[in-house]
Parts: sequence; C-alpha cells; structure tokens
Amino acid sequence: MLATEIQFVFQLGILIVFTRVGGYWLRRWLRLPGVLGELIVGMLIGPYALGQFHWPLIGKLFPFGPGGAPVSPELYAFSTFASIVLLFLSGLETDLSTFLRYSVAGTAVGIGGVVVSFFLGTGCAVWFGLADHWLAPHALFLGAIATATSVGISARILSERRKMDSPEGVTILAAAVFDDVLGIIVLAIVVGMSRAETEGGVSWSHILLIAAKAFGFWIGATAAGLLLARRFSRLLKYFKSTQAIAALALGCGLLLAGLSEMAGLAMIIGAYIMGLSLSRTDLVQVIQKEIEGLQNILVPVFFATMGMLVNFAAIRPMLQIGLVYSALAIASKVLGCGLPALFCGFNRHGAVRIGVGMLPRGEVALIVAGIGLTSGAIGQDIFGIAILMTLITTLLGPMLLAGSFENPAPGLRHPDDLAKAHNRTIELSFPSSDMAEFLLGRIVRAFRQEEFYVYRLSPDALTYQIRKDEIFFTLESEGGDIRLTTTVQYETLARLVIAEEMLSLRSMLHLAQDNGHLDTMEHDLVAGLFGGNGEEGEP
Amino acid sequence: MNLKKPLTVETICLDLKGATKEAILAEMVELLVASGHIRDRDAVLKAVLEREKRMSTGMQNGIAIPHGKTDSVDCLVAALGIKRAGVDFGALDGQPSNIFVMTVSPDSRTGPHIQFLAEISRPLNDASVRAKLLAATSPDEVLHLLIG
Repeated sequence: MLATEIQFVFQLGILIVFTRVGGYWLRRWLRLPGVLGELIVGMLIGPYALGQFHWPLIGKLFPFGPGGAPVSPELYAFSTFASIVLLFLSGLETDLSTFLRYSVAGTAVGIGGVVVSFFLGTGCAVWFGLADHWLAPHALFLGAIATATSVGISARILSERRKMDSPEGVTILAAAVFDDVLGIIVLAIVVGMSRAETEGGVSWSHILLIAAKAFGFWIGATAAGLLLARRFSRLLKYFKSTQAIAALALGCGLLLAGLSEMAGLAMIIGAYIMGLSLSRTDLVQVIQKEIEGLQNILVPVFFATMGMLVNFAAIRPMLQIGLVYSALAIASKVLGCGLPALFCGFNRHGAVRIGVGMLPRGEVALIVAGIGLTSGAIGQDIFGIAILMTLITTLLGPMLLAGSFENPAPGLRHPDDLAKAHNRTIELSFPSSDMAEFLLGRIVRAFRQEEFYVYRLSPDALTYQIRKDEIFFTLESEGGDIRLTTTVQYETLARLVIAEEMLSLRSMLHLAQDNGHLDTMEHDLVAGLFGGNGEEGEP
Repeated sequence: MNLKKPLTVETICLDLKGATKEAILAEMVELLVASGHIRDRDAVLKAVLEREKRMSTGMQNGIAIPHGKTDSVDCLVAALGIKRAGVDFGALDGQPSNIFVMTVSPDSRTGPHIQFLAEISRPLNDASVRAKLLAATSPDEVLHLLIG
C-alpha cells in the first residue's frame, strides 16, 4: 500500500495520461466528443472496475476512500477545484448584455428548454417513486441535472457543417447563454432547498424562504460583481504582469466560491459569478490565456473523476428508469426549445434542429450530480442515472444535429425571413491551411486590438465568437478557407478588418522577398551544421 | 461606440484646398492638430502616408478613409474634409475622391480604430447622404448628417 501522497500523484498521473489518450482516440477514430472518452476512461479505471485490480508493488490504483467513498478525499478535492476553474471560465466567456440584446428567439428557446427540462426531470423522480413529492431533494436534483446544455459540442457540429451562421445556429448559441445563466440560478435554488429538506425543515414556507435567499444571493452577488468589475479590474492591472492578474482573479474566484458555499449555495456559483463579473472587463483574454494551460490539465481529470463515481451495480436495477430519464431529457429539450422556436418564425425542420442542438449535457450536469452525491441529497443510483443521461445526450446530440441538417430544407417558416436576418458571410480561400491559420490569427489579434471579446468555442475546431456590445461575428477556418459571418450592418467593419490584415500579410511577404538579409540568416543558421571533422559537439 | 467625441466642428473642413493626394493628407493632418491630442504632426503624416503606400484608402463614390496608427497621438483622433471638385486619390473605382474621413489612433494601445472608421463611414453608403454632405454649408450640418 502506497503512502497517501504517492498514491495521489500516481492517480493523477494515470488520469491525465489515460484521459488524454482516450479522448484523443475517441475523437480521432469515432469522431465523438472528447468528453465522452474522458468519462468512459474514468468509469473503466475507477474503483468500480479496474481500479480494484491489484498491481505488483503499488497495490490497488483506485481503492475506495475512507468510509467507502468512491474516490479519495484528495482526488475529490482536486476535481472540485477543477469544477470551480471550469465554471469560473464559463462565467468569463459570457457577455450578458450582448446576449440579452442579441436574440429574442434565443431567449425564448433558452427559457423554454430550462423550464421543460426541469419539470420533466423532477417529474420523472416523482412518477417513478424515487421521490415522495416535487420538492424532495431527489426530484429537485434530477430536475437541475436535466437543465444545463453544453453547447460546445453542438458548436463544433455547426462549424463542421458550416451552419454557424444559419438562423438555427445563431439561435442555439444565443439560447445557450440563457441556458447557462438560468441553469446556475436553478442550481442555487435547488442546493438551498435540498439542504433545508435534509436538515429537516420540510415546511413549504421554509423551503420557499431558502429558495428566495438563494435567488437573492445570486442576484445580489451578480449585481455587485458587475458594478464593481471595472474598479476590480483597475486594481488587478496595478500588478502589470498578466500571470499575476490571472492568478489574482482566479484566487478571488476561489474565495467567492468558498463564500457562496458558506452562504448555503454551491461553490461553483461563486466561481461563476466572479467569472461573469470579469466578463465585462478588458481582462477576459488575459485571464483566459493564462488559465488555458491549467484548464487543459484539470478539466479531463474532472470528467474522469465523475466517471469514476459511477457504481455499475447501483445503476443496474435503475437502468430502465435511467433510460426513461434520458429519453425525457431529450424530449424536454426538443420540445422545450423546439416549441418556442416554432413561435419565433422557425418551421418544423428548424425547430427540430434547435431542439437537438440543445441536447448535449456536460460539465454543469456532472457538477450538479457530484454536488448532490457528496452532500447526500442523492444516492449512487440517481448519480448513475445522471451520468447515463449525460453520456446518451452527449452521444446522440451531435449525431442528431448533423443528421437534422442532412435535409437541406430551410429552417424558417418563410425562407424570405433569411433576408430579414441580414446575415452576411465573407469567404476567403487560401492556397494552404498554414496561410489561412496565419491570417486567422492576425484577424483574431486585430479584433482584440479593437477591444472585442474573442473566444474559441471548442478546442477541436478553429471557430471563434467575436463580440462587443451588440456587434457579433463568427470566425471559422477549415483547411485553406476562412469565413467571417455577421449582420449586414457590420459587414463594412468585417471587410475593413480583414482587408487591413491582408495588407499587412502582403507587406510582410514583400519585405521577406526584398530583404536579402533573411537569405543570409537562413544560410548562417544551417551553414556549418555538418562541417565538423572532430568529436561530437565540436564545430 | 461614441462617434461624437473624436469628430468635432474644429476637425471638419468643408473646403479643402489641396490639389493632390499628398496635399489633401497634409491638410487633413492639420485639421487633426486642432483636436489638441497630437504630439508630433510629422509622425502622424508619416503613419498615414505609410498606410497609403500599401494600398490607397480611396474607396468608391468619392469616399476616402485615410488612416494610420502612431504613438504620437494620445487617443483616437478624427477629421472630415470635403473637396467638392475631387482629387485623384487612386480610388478603387478610378473616380476622384471628394469626401475624406481621416482617423489616427495610438499604436501601442488597444481601442477602436477600424470600428470607428466603419461606423463613421456607414452612412456614406447612402447616395443621398453623400449628396447632402457635399452640399453642406456648416460643420454642424455635417455632424448632424453623420452622427445625428
């Protein structure tokens, strides 16, 4: 048996290596989202599967923790930290004001999806006898787990199919923001209410008071955060170094996370609020860039740890309910998002595309389930159902979304409305993908210099959202092509930015051609590389 | 963004004198000096000329948007000039240019530059706005037409 710290280091190393390799192969061979690979790797190497295997010298790699907990307290704390970083970054990527103004359809679709998912998720617990009433912790958690969409997976499909700028694509992206914010509010309320329940305060008035308190904390902290954000960012800038700024911001995110836990809410809510507050400052890119490396290591470990918590034996008797819950989770988004879309000018095709685009659940569903499990509000059986639903929706979502676009029928009831949407796509083709990627980088830099918020939607694809106030662009690159989509109102800005960067590129090429010094530089670099006659290392 | 701040009655000229592209650019830079945010006039002119050397900013229908970046300005500065007779600016459509919108902003600081150019020149897409601008009799009228 290894000492605790050595065992933790081994566990972490194995998780990082296997999730990376598993995620990579799943993406490469089956073209499935990396998150599925990470979850499955966690399930396979976890304490309920290979983790129990006795290895020579080191013993069991993932034994049960104290008191029969599926993972060690160290590993769980690490994954909690990962979830805080994840939600801090998620808040940071949200620009509330832009999206509040951006899309009426997005608002209706986002709200519809959250309300119907919560209702059907909670209802599932009551109908199948998992909870006595609608306000029981089991019911509330199954409702909350069903609400949050993970739009990154759909964004990749939209980008691959060149549908990012379609009315459906724009609506899915806008709706996802409302979904995120509402999902966090639902979580705040659910955690508060379930704590009141488990502490014995079962009276309706008490539960409603807790819900109001949770909602109040959320609104109060968010409003304070948004109001103080600029002052806070000025304070951070005093430290000049970007590393210091990012570290301080994340540190304060952790502090707010702790405070929100003390206030009776989940830690991720505090982290999300801190990210959301900073999203309105010009420090977004600095913080994102500095934390990116940390995120790349932490997030797969988080997903794998969630996978490790799955107790196959506990799910087996619940498999049927799990499948029904998954089916309801699918139906709730298709109906909850699709029906409002029908009232916002979309036809049946468009509504289905929007509904399936909102299907995948991801990190927030897993975090909510994890909180429920560790707080004792839900058991391993319900947790298993949640993981099953996340796996099924993440697997089916991209496939159904891609399939829904196979039929080229327009998604709007009156295709002429497309003209009303006034979307314009500027397309450029380059002789090589290297050249396209180079220019893409220049365009991203140019928008950042103009103080636009630029962020990459998915690490798997070169797809960016660029925004400032009501201005919104989608920038994509695939192979040697670059596409920039916006509304007709901002087409001039888009064309001018690209034209300026093309000019810089051309100037650079001319300069390189005219500058003989570069030739000598290349020559000097390789000259003498193999000219030595003596020992290795001798020139 | 707020277009009113950089473009003021002091930085608008309804009757540019220059007869060549270089003369017009120099005259426009003089207008920018009126903003009070320019530390080195020659450096500003050099930045604008450098940009013109890469490709003319003369667009279509008489519009030209000369611009540049240099740390010789404290913040984004803008000027608008009109030369009714037009000047050969090497425009895309080969026609003389008669409405000039110049923008210069700091090189080492982030902030709107192209966005300002795009927003201020958006109304110029409208032929009737262009006609009204050319017929304007006061800088106030120009400001009203472009910014409202």
